[in-house]
This record gives sequence, structure tokens and C-alpha cells, in this order.
Amino acid sequence: MRVLLGNVAIARGIVEAGCHFVASYPGTPSSEIVPGVVSYKKELDLNTYIEWSANEKIAFDNALAASLTGKRSAVAMKQVGLNVASDSLLSSAYTGVVGGMVIISCDDPGPHSSQTEQDSRFFAMFAKIPALDPSSPQEAKDMVKDAFELSEEFEIPVLLRPTIRVSHAKQLVRLDTPKVIPRRANFRKNPERWAATPRSRLLLHKRLNEILKRVEERFEEESRWNFELYSSKKAVLGIISSSVSFAIIRELIDELNLGEYVCLLKIGTPFPLPLKRVERFIRRHRRILIIEEPGPLIELQIGDRRRVSGRMSGHVPLEGELTPEVIYEILASVLRSENLKNLEKTRDEELEELIEGLSLPSRRPTLCAGCPERAAFFAIRKAFPKGIYPSDIGCYTLGLNLKAVDTVIDMGAGITLASGFYHAYAQDGKRIPIIATIGDSTFYHSGPSGLLNAVYNDSRFILVILDNEITAMTGMQPTPGLGVRADQSAGKRVPLEDLVKGCGVGWLRVIDPYDVRNMVEVLKEADKYTRREDGGIAVIIARHPCLINYPESLKGKKVRVKITEECNGCGYCLEFFECPALKMDDEEKRVEIDRGLCVDCGVCVNSCLKGAIIEA
Amino acid sequence: MRLKIIFTGIGGQGIIFSSRLFSELGRKMGLGVMGSETHGMSQRGGSVIAHLKLGEFWSPLIRKGTADFLFSFEESETYRNLSYLRKGGVCFTNLILRRRFNEKVLNNLKKKRITFVAYDASQKASRIGLPMFSNMVLIGYSLGTGLLPFAYHKLRAVLEEMSPAKHKEMNLRSLEAGYREGKRKWKR
Repeated sequence: MRVLLGNVAIARGIVEAGCHFVASYPGTPSSEIVPGVVSYKKELDLNTYIEWSANEKIAFDNALAASLTGKRSAVAMKQVGLNVASDSLLSSAYTGVVGGMVIISCDDPGPHSSQTEQDSRFFAMFAKIPALDPSSPQEAKDMVKDAFELSEEFEIPVLLRPTIRVSHAKQLVRLDTPKVIPRRANFRKNPERWAATPRSRLLLHKRLNEILKRVEERFEEESRWNFELYSSKKAVLGIISSSVSFAIIRELIDELNLGEYVCLLKIGTPFPLPLKRVERFIRRHRRILIIEEPGPLIELQIGDRRRVSGRMSGHVPLEGELTPEVIYEILASVLRSENLKNLEKTRDEELEELIEGLSLPSRRPTLCAGCPERAAFFAIRKAFPKGIYPSDIGCYTLGLNLKAVDTVIDMGAGITLASGFYHAYAQDGKRIPIIATIGDSTFYHSGPSGLLNAVYNDSRFILVILDNEITAMTGMQPTPGLGVRADQSAGKRVPLEDLVKGCGVGWLRVIDPYDVRNMVEVLKEADKYTRREDGGIAVIIARHPCLINYPESLKGKKVRVKITEECNGCGYCLEFFECPALKMDDEEKRVEIDRGLCVDCGVCVNSCLKGAIIEA
Repeated sequence: MRLKIIFTGIGGQGIIFSSRLFSELGRKMGLGVMGSETHGMSQRGGSVIAHLKLGEFWSPLIRKGTADFLFSFEESETYRNLSYLRKGGVCFTNLILRRRFNEKVLNNLKKKRITFVAYDASQKASRIGLPMFSNMVLIGYSLGTGLLPFAYHKLRAVLEEMSPAKHKEMNLRSLEAGYREGKRKWKR
């Protein structure tokens, strides 16, 4: 038994299932799966192929190919990554697979670290593949293994959908011996299936529907992931639940002694739903409550919902995480309306009001002290205070705090929105400075296609690629620019410069954003190029290593700063430079340096209008 | 034994490490371990919270009003998370010496028989030359109070085992400094 993070338990499940091939693109809450597999590979001396792919679709296709050779493969991503991979997902459901293929897509109800609260299980329904929905790290680990078996038996990809509270839960998990499944790559040609044209696709669709029917029958009998608890004869309230919500309800029923009023049906296979079983359960109870997240997938598969309370009936909120507090309130109101039991109020409203009244400082995430991205954003605003700033997804989304980020839509949209903005204004004969920002990893993920499209359509904007030489936000995964692979072995470097030029960009400069004054000048030069008749898109690679990943990079280059008497507390540096190490001393009405946080990068000397921040 | 513990503070204060320390201690004591960690964007200086449940539990989250212990490494996070504590629970918070905790809030806690332990762990950590290790100082102090059902030497052994080599000596020194102080102040 070991205490494992949910994602590490999933990694363990992948290894125990004898999986040969793992591909992924990092994203919270899925990022720890690949490092988990890497460490088991080392510990157990396995021959697993592991890669950080450039994006989720690429990861998916790689894993699919491995499966077509007969090997077991897994692909892991966050829920919005599945949007990127959805093209492959829907097609591969038709073609099916050979070796077991498991898709792990981690949902983020809340959302804590994502742009949407989408429910990956709906993708399973959309694509017509089975979905497994674990309620704990232990279950996630065991389900991965079953998912491989199921996938292999029915020759269909299978989705495992942990929510963030499974992926980032930790639990004492039972370890089993990893299976060794010797398989040599052996791709059997079958164009009717692997290269199907529309005619054969109809047949494949028919085959898929038949498979799904058989999977549903299997799930009707399944008892490891679907089972009932507290089956008191007197129970009038039946609760149907899945994922971590099930775990929360189970604990609440125990804690509040509700076992005699309630019967709980746990569903671990929400698609295809074992409908006969669910309907039998519904018939046995006067009232049904469905608690699942983030969407109403189980609920929507039930035809007759007259006695069913859930999201569709307005009993469960349509957005936000189902925390123990939210579930408690839902349960209390249903128990009350059925005259079963009055649960006491456990919220201390007096305390909540008191705390509310303290107006505590809001604790928003910020770029770290010394972050090179802060320097770049400051220079961008300085050069073009009235520009439009489309940006992208990564640490630098936090450029929002410096008012240098206007849009964050999806991976790669910094570039594509910049292009769209340009044309929408140009159509009216207007020119506005547009400065797009994108991180190095995000650029590799989905930058080039948007950039070459913008070049081709003669868009005019400045693109700043914030190259901190790592995928920082998700926990320091290597990028193609480093030439280091997931297991730290050597890969081939793909320099950003070559990619940018390859997209047809005619103006490129590589600078260090720590030199803010120089960056401002280069930005202005870039702007001139975008306005020239024969000009085009100007790209600046702002390169400086992430200080968290490369703390040694400041060695010998530290610049200690101090704040002089000139500081009049105007707050400009706090608003537009926003370094966590700069703070307003409310009594003295001037800015002070928090030496505990300051890393001596010295960049803030550029951020004072009065020149009151100087080298000490 | 069934225990629910909340760890809270700001990204970078070692909240996840602290909760892992107690997880491992719980495991060694033969208890079930269940919990939840914050990863991702909040780790960049945002509020971070870790839930830890030792004993027989199913869900990784602690419901407000039911936690036995709250460890908070930062004052405003203490305020924000006090509502997790049950009646009769215990709060260990890092609090700058000259700062007064809100009177009305303290009264609310008193009504619920919550023990409020405030200690300037940052100051102590700075005094022993380890300003980045105030979390271990606070944890050491909490063990010194005798309010936790854990033996100091057992936690120390787990810390020694879990610390990365470059932090081991500093972690242990901070833990011990806090523990001594806690023991001295909470002599009964």
C-alpha cells in the first residue's frame, strides 16, 4: 500500500495493465500522469514508450497507431485537450482499435484551472465509446486495467474520466504486480477499416452501434463499478451517483445516519448507461436524486424523469463544483421535502459574515517575482499603451494582472485572434497596434498553423513568443525547443526560430525581455515593419529562462534594488509591473520591497515613473 | 482514530509538502489516508488548500464545520478557512507577533470551544536563519502544544525520510526549534 496522488494511481494502473505506449500533452488536472509512468518505468525497468507530444491530437494519433500494431496504448490530457483531439476521437470510434487503447481525460468542475467546466463523458456519448467514471484514486487505478480489457475485447477506444478531485486526491492505494504482455508491432493492413471511405464508414458505424449495444449489456451485469449501498426496504429516496460525488454522498450518509431512508446506486459506467438496472432502481423508490458532475449525462439518458430530481429539474446547480457543502444542502432540501429528516444547519453564518466584513485582500495568482514574462508585458504596454493584446494559455495568462492581456480563448488563439482583429479593423480602413503573446509550449502546441495562415492572408500584427524554455504552468515539462524528452532522454531540438521562419514570417528578432528598454525599441521597430507596404507580421522571441525551473540562471547577474525618497506612493509600479515583491507600505504611503520574495532580478528599475527604484 | 486536517496558505509555502508529511505519518500509524491537493494556477501565489483525512473515509474533501485541525501558514488564509473547523477543533496559525487577530472572530471561535493557537513562526524561522522554513517551525510548535495525537519523534522520523537531501537538515532544525518553543509555552 502506498499513498498515491490520483494521477499517479492512474499511472500505476497503466503500468500494471502492461501498457506499451503512452502519449500526452500536459494540462491541469492531468499533468502528473506521464511523470508517474516515467518514474514507474525507471523503478521497474520497463520498456514503455512515453512521449510528451506537441498537442493532444498528436498524442491521440500516436497512441492510436500503437494500438493498430496490436500494442496497448494510453493517451492522457485535460478535458479541453479532448476538444483538440476530438477529430481523431470520433473517427477512431468508427475504425476501432486492435490493442487496448485508453483515453484519459481529466475534468475540472469548478473550474479550478481551466477555461470551461465541460463534461468529457459527453464526448464519449458523442463519439459512441464507453466511459468509465472513477470515484477515488484506488478505483481509477483498477478501472484503467478494466478499461484496457474492455477496449481489447470490443476493439473500441475506452474513456476514463477522472475529475480533478480524483486526479488530485491522494489515497492509500493497493499496488498489484505489473503485467507483462509481450507484443511485437504487427500492423495488419485493412483499408476497408483503417482507410475507410464514406461507403465503408456506414458499415463501420453499424458495427459501432452493435458494439455499443453489447457493451451496454455487459454494463447491466457489471458489479464492480455499479452497485447498490444501504438497501433498506423502507428507503423511499433513491440516489444515483457517480465519480467523487458518490464518495461525498456515501460519507454523508454514514456521518448523518441516513442509511434507513436512503438507497444509493453507484454508477461507474455512465455511458452506455445500464438503463434497465437504473430503471428498476427508479421504480423501487418514491423519489430519485441524481448527483453527478459536471454535466447531467446519466440523467439525460433516463427517458421518464417524472420522479427524478437533478440538474434538469433545478435541484442541482447547473454550474460550479459539487463540494460536500453543496451536496449537503441538496440532500437536506430533498430530505425535508419528503418529510424524512431535518438536517441541522452546519454552516456558521455568523462567522461567514464576520469574515466577509473583514474585506481580506483578494488572493489572485500572479507571475512570480523575477518572471521574464512580466518584463515582456511591461515593455509591451509601455510601447503600445493603447494596443489590443490577444494572449493565450499558460502562466502568462496572468499578464491579465498587468493589463497586458485582453483575450484568452484556447490554445493558439493568441495568434488567430490577432489575425482576425487585424482584418476586422482593416476592413474599415483602421489600423490599431495589435500585440499578440503566446508561450513557447503553447506555440509548439498550436501556433504554427495560425501563424502561417496569418502570413498567407497578409495580417499585420506583432507576435511576441514568450520563450521561458519550459512548460511552466503545468509543472515544468520539456518542450520541443529543448530537445529533451519525457523520460529525460535526448530528443532532437526544434528551434522556435526555424518554425517561425518556416511559417513565412519575414521579420524576426530574438531578445531578452529583462532589457526592457531594448524590448520597447524592438517593439517599435516591429510596428514599423507591420505598417510597411512590403511588410508583414513581425515576430519577437522574448527569451529568458523561467526562474523556478532554472534558479541558477540569475547567478552572477543579480541586481539588488532599493526604493529612494523620491517614491510618492503613486502605485504605478504596483498596477503595471505588479511584482509580488513590491508592496505598498500603507503607513508610510510609499512602496517597499519584500526581501523575502525579491529575487534581485533588477527589472523593476524600469517600472517607476519617478526613477525612485534604483540599483542599491 | 478518524482525523480531518486542513492545511492552508499561499502557493509556495509548502502546504502540499506539509500535508504529505502527515499522510505518510498516518500511513505509518496504520490509518487510512484520503485527501486532496491544489495544483495548477493557484500555485503561483494564489490561495492553496490541502485536505487530509486519516482513518476510514471515502471522500477526499472535508466539509466545512467538520475539521478537527486547521494549519494555516498565512493570516488572511486563516480567516478564510476558519469555517472548516468543527466545534472543539484546533487552529494553528502563523501570525505576526504585533498583529491582533480580530476580536469578534475570536469570540465566535470561543463560543464553539475552538482552541486558537497563534504563533509567529516566521519570526522564529528568521531568527534561526531559515526564513523559508516557517511552515516546519509552525508544525513543530503544534506538536509541542500536545494538542495533536501525534508523537514528535515519529513525525520527525517521517520528515527526515521525506525531505529532499538539500533541505533535510534545515527542515529538521526548523521543526525542532518550533517544537521546543511549543513545549515551553504549553507546559502544563
